[in-house]
Amino acid sequence: MRLFLCIILAMFWSIPAAALVVDKDTLWTGEQSFSEDVRVLPGVTLTIAPGSVVRFTDARLEIAGQLVANNVEFSGENWDGLILKGSDAATQLSDCIIKGAATGILVQGGAPILERLTLSGNKVGIALRGKAAGRVANCRFIANRKVGLFLKDDSTTAVVDCYFAENSRYGAYLYHARPQAFQGNTFVNNATGLMIAYHGTDPEVNDNRFEKNDIAIQVDRAARPVLRNNLLRDNQTGFHIYRRSDPLLTGNRIEGNVVGLLVAYSSYPEIEGNDFVANQTALKLEFQSSAWEALRGAAARAGETSSRSAFGGQGKRSVSEDDRRARRLDGTVNAKGNWWGDVGTAELVNIGTAGNPSFIHDGRDQATFVDAGEDFPLDKVVHVPWSDVPFTESKP
Amino acid sequence: MIFEWKNTWKMKSTLTKYIILILTIVLSACTPDSESGLSGQLLFQDQPLAAAQVEIYLKADKDRSVQPFVVATTDAEGRYNISLPEGLYFVIGKKRESTNDNRTRMLMAESPANPHQVAEGMTQVATFNLREMGREGLPMADASTGVSGQITHKGEPVARAFVYIYTETETGLIGPSYGEAVQTDQDGRFTINLPAGQYSLVARKRADGGRSGVLSPGDLNAQYPANPVEVRSGERLHLGDFHLTGVDAEVYARRQAEGVFTKTDTMLHGQVIDADGQPVSKVYVFAYLDSRMVGKPVYMSVPTAADGEFELYLSSGGTYYVGARSAFGGPLEPGEWVGTFDAQPDHSITVVRGAKDDLGQITVREFW
Repeated sequence: MRLFLCIILAMFWSIPAAALVVDKDTLWTGEQSFSEDVRVLPGVTLTIAPGSVVRFTDARLEIAGQLVANNVEFSGENWDGLILKGSDAATQLSDCIIKGAATGILVQGGAPILERLTLSGNKVGIALRGKAAGRVANCRFIANRKVGLFLKDDSTTAVVDCYFAENSRYGAYLYHARPQAFQGNTFVNNATGLMIAYHGTDPEVNDNRFEKNDIAIQVDRAARPVLRNNLLRDNQTGFHIYRRSDPLLTGNRIEGNVVGLLVAYSSYPEIEGNDFVANQTALKLEFQSSAWEALRGAAARAGETSSRSAFGGQGKRSVSEDDRRARRLDGTVNAKGNWWGDVGTAELVNIGTAGNPSFIHDGRDQATFVDAGEDFPLDKVVHVPWSDVPFTESKP
Repeated sequence: MIFEWKNTWKMKSTLTKYIILILTIVLSACTPDSESGLSGQLLFQDQPLAAAQVEIYLKADKDRSVQPFVVATTDAEGRYNISLPEGLYFVIGKKRESTNDNRTRMLMAESPANPHQVAEGMTQVATFNLREMGREGLPMADASTGVSGQITHKGEPVARAFVYIYTETETGLIGPSYGEAVQTDQDGRFTINLPAGQYSLVARKRADGGRSGVLSPGDLNAQYPANPVEVRSGERLHLGDFHLTGVDAEVYARRQAEGVFTKTDTMLHGQVIDADGQPVSKVYVFAYLDSRMVGKPVYMSVPTAADGEFELYLSSGGTYYVGARSAFGGPLEPGEWVGTFDAQPDHSITVVRGAKDDLGQITVREFW
């Protein structure tokens, strides 16, 4: 090991430390307490020994070099968290607990390896930005006050086998990010499990599990992800496809939700090869109308496309109306080739191809909705032909 | 008798008034009823600007890829009067002129109140000052004129460092008031096209690669030692090596304690709160000269502390448009706090040089 341990702080009790710039390779052990920012300079490695406890008060740990920490607890009062600036794979955090920070770990570029971490009680658990890469694996995001995991700025960090529970607003939020992999994750009891928002956010989200969330996955504001082979079970709403979003949904098992799939405000997803099982309502359209979109859609979005100011409320990047224009406006939402469960399939056989399935709420159940004093026809779901056999297996 | 004379005079006087009134109505009815448009006055350094060009556009800057809809010229008093059909218009004032020292300068500004709605009659555009480009705003590049050099640290070239051009020094060559910023190439070299003028250069390299943000130990920073540099028309000034030094921890700590930005005698202060009236920390307050509040602000505060209080130092008086965000640089992102100073619908405040004005509370909301 070529690590130079020039300063060894072997402390077995907590003492307040002054402002610190770490300009030599350093090892911390035991209990550390800091009331001013700590900065690790470029080219310098800070190693924190297993079992150490590090506390910050009104301060942060900023790493411009490398950080190696295994089985360390980071906490504090009114503290900012860990900031990793351009850290490469030599920065590795594993089996650590980070709690109570503004942002538990802020990754600004680079490609650090974050494994088996527990992020709890932070405003944001981990934020990855500045084209960050690297890997977040087997981490637990518990009861963070806003967002468990935030990916932004064209970050490509792989997010695998993580657990998101009881985060107040979002378990994970993908914003102009396309993870190398986003799979094997579990979302339980979050307000929204996974948010994928804004035009240009087109990740692939595969093989994840969403249970007992208010909303399992929300796709919003013209995002176009691919959502494949996910399990959405016992949520209030499984998929919420919202505001001109056109994701591809395929191979998902949507089971036991109050509403399995909610499509709203001029969204035209492709829904094929999914299993809808024992949802109170399998598929529901809400304020969804090709006629409204043709007449008012562009105008409703014009305010956003014409403004470039942060103070005008527009999201990142300029998006033209052509980017967000619906390509097909024929008054239908395509849901051909799905399996609607044993009960649903039996009903379909009974009512025939021209029938109105009870598990789909669309223009056949509610002819119109009112916008600005004018009636607009609610779109209809095209569910024929349907599959006679499921695409997925029941999971425990 | 006197009474009668007075009474007769009064009757004549009343009759005369009626005749004048009727003539006025008749004459006014004879004038073209299509006379609608914009009128106003252009200034430079608070003096009327004659022979300046007034350009009228139909679209905002973002979409202004076409020629002006109408162009007019100001009179000796800097005034203009342009007939236009009803509609929405954007007004820009421009003037290219030579100075006494044979320097060509470009004066320009958009009407802070853009866009202007023209309905019936002439709409008065509030008087506004043009600004000299390259001195008070973004430099107008001149391909044959500028500066070049190489950024180094400990004798090695520094790639991807930022070189900033400041045209004013009151705020201590810190913050967003720079007019231009370029990034060095792999060999640490840079070239910046500028109009002739006097400039101060600063170079910085942040560990996270960012263009903006508070410097901290580990970052590299330096002001060009021969600041200010004089660039003459047609001259490419070679500055040679420009050496950066690491941000010193003690200097950093002292600077944090004193305040990052240079304190000036003109200042706005107040408090940033959320919708529940609670103070919001870590929010920056920005001042723009452009009513649309787009692009780079001219001044910014340090982030608010736990009490939400802020101080925003300005180098001069004028009309500023004020907003608050929890991030700077780039468009709004989910999770940010954002808000505007709302005492005026256009978020403006007019500041007198040397004054310290209380903006009261700025309410921010979280954007998702």
